[in-house]
Amino acid sequence: MTLDRTRPLFVRLLLLAFMVLVPPVGLLTYDALGEFSKGLVPELDKKAETVGRDLAASIERAVGYGIPVDHLVGMDEFFTPVLRSNPEIRYLAVTNRDGRILYLTGARREVLEPFYAVADFDDDAERVRKSNLGDFVDLAQPISGKNGRVGHLHVGIDDGFVRGRLMEIVIDIAVVTLGALLVAVEILLFVVLVNVIGPMREVGMVIDRVRRGDFSHVSGSGSDDEVGHFVSGFNAALRYCDDLFRRLEDYIDEVKAAHFDKSVVERVGEIEARVRFLFRFSRQGQPDVITERQAADIRLPLFLFVFAEEMSRSFIPLYIRDLSVPIPGLSPDLVMALPIALFMLLIAVVSPSAALAASRLGSRRIFLMGLVPATMGFVLSAWAYSVYDFMLWRGITAIGYAMVTMACQSYIAQISKQERRAQGLGVYVGAVLTASICGTGIGGVLAERVGYRPTFVVAAVLAVIAGMLIYRLLDTPQVSEQRSSPHLRQYLGLLRNWRFSALILFAAIPSKIALTGAFFFLLPLTLMLDTAVDLGDVARIMMIYPIVVVTLSPLAARLADRTGWKAGLVALGGVIGGMALVTPLIENSPQMLALGVVLLGVSHGLSASPQLAMIPDVCWTECRNIGQTNVLAFLRFAERLGSFIGPLLAAAFLPFFGYYDSIVAVGAISLGLSLIFVVLSFAYGSGPHIEAELME
Amino acid sequence: MKGALLRLAILGLAVVMLAGNAVAAEPAAKPYRIYMALWRGWEDAAQGFKDYFINQNIPVELIIRDAAQDKDKLKEFIAEAKQLKVDLVFTWGTTVTEEMLGRWDASDPQSYIRDIPAVFAIVSQPVGGVVPSLESSGRNITGTTYLVPMETQVNLIQSYRHITRLGVVYNPLERNSRVAIDELSAIGARSGFEVASAAVEVVDGKPLAASIAGKVAGLKAAGIDFLYIPPDTFLNVSRDILTGAALEQGIPSFAVGENAVVTSKAMFGGVYRYYTVGQLTAYKAEQILVHKIKPEAIPIDAPKRLSILINMPVVRHLKLYPPMKLLELAEIIDPAEGKRP
Repeated sequence: MTLDRTRPLFVRLLLLAFMVLVPPVGLLTYDALGEFSKGLVPELDKKAETVGRDLAASIERAVGYGIPVDHLVGMDEFFTPVLRSNPEIRYLAVTNRDGRILYLTGARREVLEPFYAVADFDDDAERVRKSNLGDFVDLAQPISGKNGRVGHLHVGIDDGFVRGRLMEIVIDIAVVTLGALLVAVEILLFVVLVNVIGPMREVGMVIDRVRRGDFSHVSGSGSDDEVGHFVSGFNAALRYCDDLFRRLEDYIDEVKAAHFDKSVVERVGEIEARVRFLFRFSRQGQPDVITERQAADIRLPLFLFVFAEEMSRSFIPLYIRDLSVPIPGLSPDLVMALPIALFMLLIAVVSPSAALAASRLGSRRIFLMGLVPATMGFVLSAWAYSVYDFMLWRGITAIGYAMVTMACQSYIAQISKQERRAQGLGVYVGAVLTASICGTGIGGVLAERVGYRPTFVVAAVLAVIAGMLIYRLLDTPQVSEQRSSPHLRQYLGLLRNWRFSALILFAAIPSKIALTGAFFFLLPLTLMLDTAVDLGDVARIMMIYPIVVVTLSPLAARLADRTGWKAGLVALGGVIGGMALVTPLIENSPQMLALGVVLLGVSHGLSASPQLAMIPDVCWTECRNIGQTNVLAFLRFAERLGSFIGPLLAAAFLPFFGYYDSIVAVGAISLGLSLIFVVLSFAYGSGPHIEAELME
Repeated sequence: MKGALLRLAILGLAVVMLAGNAVAAEPAAKPYRIYMALWRGWEDAAQGFKDYFINQNIPVELIIRDAAQDKDKLKEFIAEAKQLKVDLVFTWGTTVTEEMLGRWDASDPQSYIRDIPAVFAIVSQPVGGVVPSLESSGRNITGTTYLVPMETQVNLIQSYRHITRLGVVYNPLERNSRVAIDELSAIGARSGFEVASAAVEVVDGKPLAASIAGKVAGLKAAGIDFLYIPPDTFLNVSRDILTGAALEQGIPSFAVGENAVVTSKAMFGGVYRYYTVGQLTAYKAEQILVHKIKPEAIPIDAPKRLSILINMPVVRHLKLYPPMKLLELAEIIDPAEGKRP
């Protein structure tokens, strides 16, 4: 697949935005963090002191009842809940007057004993003593009995806690900045394309015509800025030429009709013929307006819409778990997977008819119509009552999603001429992937700060903005000539091509099973098992996937084009994808899962473009018969079945294997299928395959 | 006898004052007339019952009668309550309740109070006694239980100290104790401890208080690590002897009733305070009198809040200190510190 035309501009704008946005944000962050840590440390001290005072008071009460301080019972059970609810407190300890440790929870005795042994706890001052013990800050609170001091209560604050908190904030800011950067670039790109590049390309086309003596077209009317002034000035010049020509024509007609000297009439006729031969002018009496549509026109609305949908990516399974009510006869895991599976199924089922509708009724209309159920779905998801109605709302969203994405694809397909279709598709994939990065990251941060439900509301607002853009921008309905769509029989005929079937069964479907089953569904749930992982971390880890895909994908496309080693790349990608999910075998940890996400990104980055690029070769005959677009659409449909199966499969594994091992199990299936493809890929050969025709 | 009369007179005076207050607060409303039949004089449950009406500003006229542990008086009470045509009868304790309201399967219902609605309190085993089930009495009465569920009691004991053998001294003449021992044994079989029980000696049909100390010593020899004091009138009366013996033997004791902990030497108890039970009983009376809910529609239950009582002097003597978490939750009884809740 060729890169999309706007990519170099995108990269340049990204660099520009990076230079403009990142240094000030970096400086601000640096300053703010300084302030923050200055404020955070005393806050932590204060909190630890309060906790210490409460605990010391309880112990003093016990001592006051005549319990000797070295005979207190159940101190571990007493301390543990306090440690659990205050993550910044690492240990709690009680020492006697000599500094000997009587009770200690949360740290090893050997670590603290040397410090306490040398510390002088003998002075009877009624104050908290703060000291640094290695990685801890130790706050010692005096404990007094009836006969004076009996010992100290120690609250140990983790020195790394502040660092950890600050790091978390830095990462949050980085994620939001990256999101803001991409959004800014999308908007810049849009503005530049619509206001500068678009008009300039039109002017360029008109000049090109003029160079060949064609004055029949002028550029579309410009906006009220320098570009617009230039365009209208240029158009005025053309119109003046056109006007001069009409006047000349009138004069010639006048001469031809009224001149007495036949030779002059003849001569004038020759001149007219000569002029008409050298120059072309519009026949309508004035120049036609040329309008050149670009695939990039739809980029921003599409970006915003996918952004909206991706916002819930990191927390959908968690949200479902919160809403979950037992459904009789179904395991709770299956209930959690159902909304995700249903979403995928509906997209698969609705997409073909949405594509058909878009080509009949126009992309704009289908985009706007699709936004209605999508927005409703977002809003109602925010107010979901139980998993039942949530499934319904997600279903509605899926229908809208299918309509909007199909409308965009159909728009791009219609305006890109055949040879530029791949570029147009690049615009689509680019917008979807950048939206996926921003949506996942910003959605996760947002959900962590304001909650799941408000995030859905924000998604609905974004969808509405996308609709407003479409409403204003694509003002003419796009209706293309009716193309006959192939019959089901022809589609099924595709499956008789073993290369195509193998590509679907052993490459496309396994990769989708891995994506929706393990990545979309199991990953957030599994990550949240670790108490140290919060929603923001989940979103950040999930964000890695589109980032890797977006970086690798163009490289893989170039590699595939240059080497022709498409089946090989698909096979390699598949194997890496399967391996990505068995990483928990090494260790059940969030780190391994993050590594898995990176590998999954590598896998899909490597295989996605070559997979599509293989189609014209693998289905050479079929592409001639039913059209490449339809073959691709069928591939999409088939792989979406994988998306549907994925979550259900994962849910089926859950009761038997638990979270980590279910990921491994899904990975094993995906890996097994991919290995079959590896074997088959050697038989693919290269270049077009036409033997399918012989079988007909 | 004179003492009892004097007490009755004072109580009567209190009632008049109370009624006066209530009437002053709500001059228009005619006070509800409640006949309170008590077994051992005015105590916390009765006080809680009365205070509820004062706090809720419900006008009541309390007709207070104390049987002073004399069963024969209860017949007179029945006649008097019927004759006064009171609005509600309150009965205190198992004996008063069973004698005045009759067992749920009594063959001669007309000899008990049947037409007047009644509420009972401090009945240790109402089910199978005055009512067939806790959900509904099936007749014109309702009430409260005051015993902490056995499972909760055992959990409490085990949160204090791991037990392998739990000792019980009991009065073989009281059904309650037997029931408690059976329940304990069943729970013990599940959670890994056994129950060693010893019945006090009975002479002339009466339990012998003097035999208690010997029984405790016997259980100590059998290796018990906690003594369980069941709800039992006889043991309640002889609580000083029982808890004293346990203390002498160095055995920690857990009591189901508050008296053994608060006014004697049991170490530890998990109870519903009588005062709270009295308030809950008054709430049920309010449901009947003010909100006109049929008594059979009001389930019989216990207060929500459990009181953990720890007798600190006993703890100090035994040097068996409570875990910090339990100490945080408990009400501490420590006369030396002036703590007597």
